[in-house]
Amino acid sequence: MTIIEKIFARAAGRDVKPGEYIWAKLNLVAMRDFGGPNVIQEYQNKFGEQPVFDKGKVAITFDLHIPARDEKVAVNQKFLREFAARQGVKLFDIDTGVGQHILFESGLAKPWDIIVGTDSHMNLLGGVGAAGFGMGTTDIAGAMYKGELYFRVPPTIKIEVTGVLKKLVTAKDIILFLLKTLKTDGALNRAVEFSGPTIDHLNLAERITMASMVTEMSGDIGFIQPNDEILDYIKARTEEKVETIGPDSDAAYEEIYEFKVDDLQPQIACPHSPDNVKDVKDIAKTKVDQVFIGSCTNGRFEDLNIAAQILKGNKIKPGIRLIVVPTTMEVAKKSLKQGLYDIFINAGAVVTNPGCALCTTGHPGILAPGEVMVSTSNRNFVGKLGKGAKVFLASPATAAATALTGVITDPREV
Amino acid sequence: MIIKGKVWCFGDDIDTDQIYPGKYLPITDKQEMTLHAMEGAPGGEEFMNNVEPGDIVVAGKNFGCGSSREHAIVAIHGIGVSLVIARSFARIFHRNAVNTGLPIILFDGTGEIKQGDRLEVNIENGRISNLSQNKVYQGIAIAPLEMEIMKAGGLLDYLKKKD
Repeated sequence: MTIIEKIFARAAGRDVKPGEYIWAKLNLVAMRDFGGPNVIQEYQNKFGEQPVFDKGKVAITFDLHIPARDEKVAVNQKFLREFAARQGVKLFDIDTGVGQHILFESGLAKPWDIIVGTDSHMNLLGGVGAAGFGMGTTDIAGAMYKGELYFRVPPTIKIEVTGVLKKLVTAKDIILFLLKTLKTDGALNRAVEFSGPTIDHLNLAERITMASMVTEMSGDIGFIQPNDEILDYIKARTEEKVETIGPDSDAAYEEIYEFKVDDLQPQIACPHSPDNVKDVKDIAKTKVDQVFIGSCTNGRFEDLNIAAQILKGNKIKPGIRLIVVPTTMEVAKKSLKQGLYDIFINAGAVVTNPGCALCTTGHPGILAPGEVMVSTSNRNFVGKLGKGAKVFLASPATAAATALTGVITDPREV
Repeated sequence: MIIKGKVWCFGDDIDTDQIYPGKYLPITDKQEMTLHAMEGAPGGEEFMNNVEPGDIVVAGKNFGCGSSREHAIVAIHGIGVSLVIARSFARIFHRNAVNTGLPIILFDGTGEIKQGDRLEVNIENGRISNLSQNKVYQGIAIAPLEMEIMKAGGLLDYLKKKD
């Protein structure tokens, strides 16, 4: 069995096959500051004040519009805080960061777990070997009530990556290149397993980057078998047993793709689709108004550190805005301690509080019509960051180099 | 169950930001959500101004990709869309439709259906009759468990009955 088949088989208590529907018990049900209020409304409409299935297995995270950007959001957040207090469920407030990252940082998400939440990038938890599924309001309300949900067991695609990346070519460049090849529906209703020597050596931040953008391939989940470094990280944060998870040696894959990355160049997704990917050098010199370094895909310490080493001692191009957002408060504290804040601020960046930040309209920092942004996030759909704006997706290294020159720049050229 | 309606055509990869733009996410009132149905999609404005209850949305591949927002379903269902036919659906959109009782059908040949065509669709066996073109197509209905959930009135009522 593949990883997803093993996880579902354990949850269902029997062997499972791709395409079949099963009911699976959930290890955790999460919701956010947006979507969350709709979940609670649905829950209360149907179930009133009935207690949730297990208050230790429900978590509310605030990461999108934080601190509350307007009255409507403030009302929503108050509503969630009051619900959490009444029900006794965990709430991670505005001082924490991006929900899924909080779940593994706090030891609530671990290998083998089945976790559902109201964020379409829940599947980044595959980076730590957990099966995270983004879902809508009704699913999450039902999950919170019952502690189980139905799932269609997805077929699995295996992506084997070999080779050694060139300097300043990163996991983001790999996943953008895979998107270029497989396209935005390349993993539709499929699970993905990343494997091979290149993948085995990726650190936590890089694994998260890879797993998160399986969403953009329309995959259900992207797994990377946890290595000792990942297991130690999770073990240090939970009392529960932590076991690694990998596929059986005779696992059946729907398709197997092999990629060599020795000659991979820095990649960039051009407007308005994450699969409209080119080599950075082919669109170099495109003028940029703003650069965003952060998001659930690329805002961990290792991501910020790559950017900081490029920015160190330099100033960004006058007239360019650089916005840096650590993914979580843990990342922010480490970045502060290691001097990254000084580097960013001295370079002319604005560093804001941890969270999702420039993922979608509704957050400070969105663009005017005609403006261009290079972002380390995961989506560049039409209008997602302002009507008439253009968004390019790249690695933190490419983003930092671009901030220095004001035009799209290969990080090896600054 | 037979659904009859007039067609609104949309393309491939219509994402949830096109169906329901992110800036309206703080809205929790379902009626208010319908005011923004398809607002960000090409042809969305004409749709919003002219859609009639019972109309059918026909789209290409990967309809509803992007975010998990159920607002997208609530908005198009609430404005009166009776059925969505697409070459493929994003997983979350598919689940949201089943869980809230918005009928959907998979059909590989959506390109044959034209804007304004009148369809008669059996959502249980996937049979699509194009009354305007006098053609019949075979689509794929949702899975039996999903049909049970939809017939129960959605996931929450289904789970209550399961107790």
